[in-house]
Amino acid sequence: MLDFAQTWLPFLYLYGVGGAAFVIGMMLILRTKALNSEIPRHRLWIKVLLFGFGFYFTLHAVFIMLALGSS
Amino acid sequence: MDLAVGTNLDRFVIVTYFVIVMGFGAYFGKYSKTTSDYFFGGRRFSWWLISISIVATGIGSHSFVKYSTKAYQYGFSSTMTYMNDWFFMPLFMFGWLPIIYYTRVGSIPEYFEKRFNKTARSIAMLMILVYMIGYIAIQFLTLATALYRIYSIPLMVTVVIIAVATTIYMHFGGQTSVIFTDLFQGLILIFAGLLLFFLGLNYLADHTALGGLQAFWQNLTPDQKLPLAHFNRPPDFNFVGIFWQDGIAGSIGFLFLNQGLIMRFMAARSVNEGRKAAAFNVLLVLPISAIVVSNAGWIGRAIANAVPGALPAGMEANDVFVAVTNVVSSPGVFGFIIAALCAALMSTADTLVNASSAIIVNDVYRPLAKKEANDIKELKIARFTSIGVKVIAVILVPFFNSFDSIYEAHGWFHSTFTPPLVVAVFLGIFWKRFTTPAVIATFVLGAALMILGQFFPELVKPFSHGIELRPGRGYYYIGALYNIAVCAGVGVIVSLFTKPEPMEKLKGLTLSDVNSLREIFKGSKPNDRLGEEVTVLWKLIDSDKNIVRFSKHEMDKMAAEVGDLVYVSDSRKWLGGLKSIHSVYGEPHEEQGIIYISKEQLEHGQFVEDKSVTAEKEM
Repeated sequence: MLDFAQTWLPFLYLYGVGGAAFVIGMMLILRTKALNSEIPRHRLWIKVLLFGFGFYFTLHAVFIMLALGSS
Repeated sequence: MDLAVGTNLDRFVIVTYFVIVMGFGAYFGKYSKTTSDYFFGGRRFSWWLISISIVATGIGSHSFVKYSTKAYQYGFSSTMTYMNDWFFMPLFMFGWLPIIYYTRVGSIPEYFEKRFNKTARSIAMLMILVYMIGYIAIQFLTLATALYRIYSIPLMVTVVIIAVATTIYMHFGGQTSVIFTDLFQGLILIFAGLLLFFLGLNYLADHTALGGLQAFWQNLTPDQKLPLAHFNRPPDFNFVGIFWQDGIAGSIGFLFLNQGLIMRFMAARSVNEGRKAAAFNVLLVLPISAIVVSNAGWIGRAIANAVPGALPAGMEANDVFVAVTNVVSSPGVFGFIIAALCAALMSTADTLVNASSAIIVNDVYRPLAKKEANDIKELKIARFTSIGVKVIAVILVPFFNSFDSIYEAHGWFHSTFTPPLVVAVFLGIFWKRFTTPAVIATFVLGAALMILGQFFPELVKPFSHGIELRPGRGYYYIGALYNIAVCAGVGVIVSLFTKPEPMEKLKGLTLSDVNSLREIFKGSKPNDRLGEEVTVLWKLIDSDKNIVRFSKHEMDKMAAEVGDLVYVSDSRKWLGGLKSIHSVYGEPHEEQGIIYISKEQLEHGQFVEDKSVTAEKEM
């Protein structure tokens, strides 16, 4: 039987602490205009950065659910 | 366990592979004319070339052994370290990458001198060199461990043979050879890793009543299918420890401090190409790499469950990669997969050796020479330095061989050497208030507190997240959190009690100035008017200036002005920028469809007669 410490706790910690690092990073580069949403090429980069976060979030969540489904 | 494996055909395949790679690398030596070429490949390559060559750099020979071992013991959670790098991508792509590219620093220690002072540069240089040379030693050890079982040559002799083989192409070719051999080896690595997975599934299909994929899935337990390890158990493989050691210290160390990787990104033809390479690498290539390095362990576990007795009795987890490869593949194919292990070593070692010699030339030789840099002499020194670096790495091999496993040797290495540097570079880039005395204190006092933590594990306990203390061995991976905390604490406290740096000194060196870096790089306001690429033929003219000249018509098409920066490359895109130059627009001429270039530019770009070139305005 899989318990919470094996399944969703690492996931929540990963995307809680890692997610905070990601959000702070995004805020810093947007505030300093290092990533400038007024530049068309940078608008595309904002989408890529958010997609990357969502991609890994989904990938990990799906595999945890698959493992839970097979237990 | 005695694991003598391989046939004469396998041995022949491995030797042939070494010879091909050495020849391939030596061929690209002709593109290294200056130290900029030798270290940065002339800053001219396309994103896809950089990205695929990074695959081979990221996957070391230790990766196959280390991750397949953990995959065999714990299942899919072996992929954790490959799937936690996205969190720092915003800061890397839009903070650190433009800073290092546009400030034209030759090495990370040089950044420390610009941002702080010479002492900070010297300490950073020492720490980075020790880190990289140690890393090379671990690579040698891993491959030698695998090869000596096949050739029955003593471990240290195998290490020396590998070091000599990689020296041959590195010596002449520099970064361009590294990029092209790594491109070739990256493709080989991915192919060999996926081939092994395919052969493993076939083996399972042949030995069970199920299809390969179904047999694979059903012969793993539910906990082996989890993508993340148990939160804090066992002490030598748990989620939270590995998160801090690899996901935080390791990711920042790899993206921000790995001189080899940084040099690869600086070999990109522009910052935007570097960003594309980084994004493609982390989003697509790393998940594939995770499968490539881990699958032998997963297959091994499924085989052990489905076909008892197929793997050698008493096999240690460390041996699973070689054992599974031997069981599922046929003679020749086994040799090919082991050749891929060689590829992993050579491609990681060549990058690190090139990076180490860049640091020695840039941070030791140049400051000591104290006169105008002589490029020919520096190139010669760079080449011989790469030999010296390998000699030291070979000497260090017995030290790393004394650890219980390569995974532990690598983990100890990461959590010990990266935190002070990680904190120093991170605060340096993102916090203007971070001062020079604070960075020195981070290195010295931070390191002292880290050493204390190793001797007195009770200091680490508040950070342990409930991980069990191993008597005599301390807290392992979670030690990285303690190390980061004490280094950051020292850095912040000392900064707050010391005088801030003058704003003028920090210009272009912190995140808040990234917006103005392009102007600093160009030396005048960037021209961002949208223009088109043009394809023209080249014509040689007698000139000693670094300018190229186009007709008025083509200048208008590119929306370019005299003094703007231009990138000119062979029109054949598949060359990935190998034949290309960066230059400056000169006064226009009257010959439409022609670009005037000098003899020096022709030699540097290696353009081919009657082949057109493509030009685009950079800024």
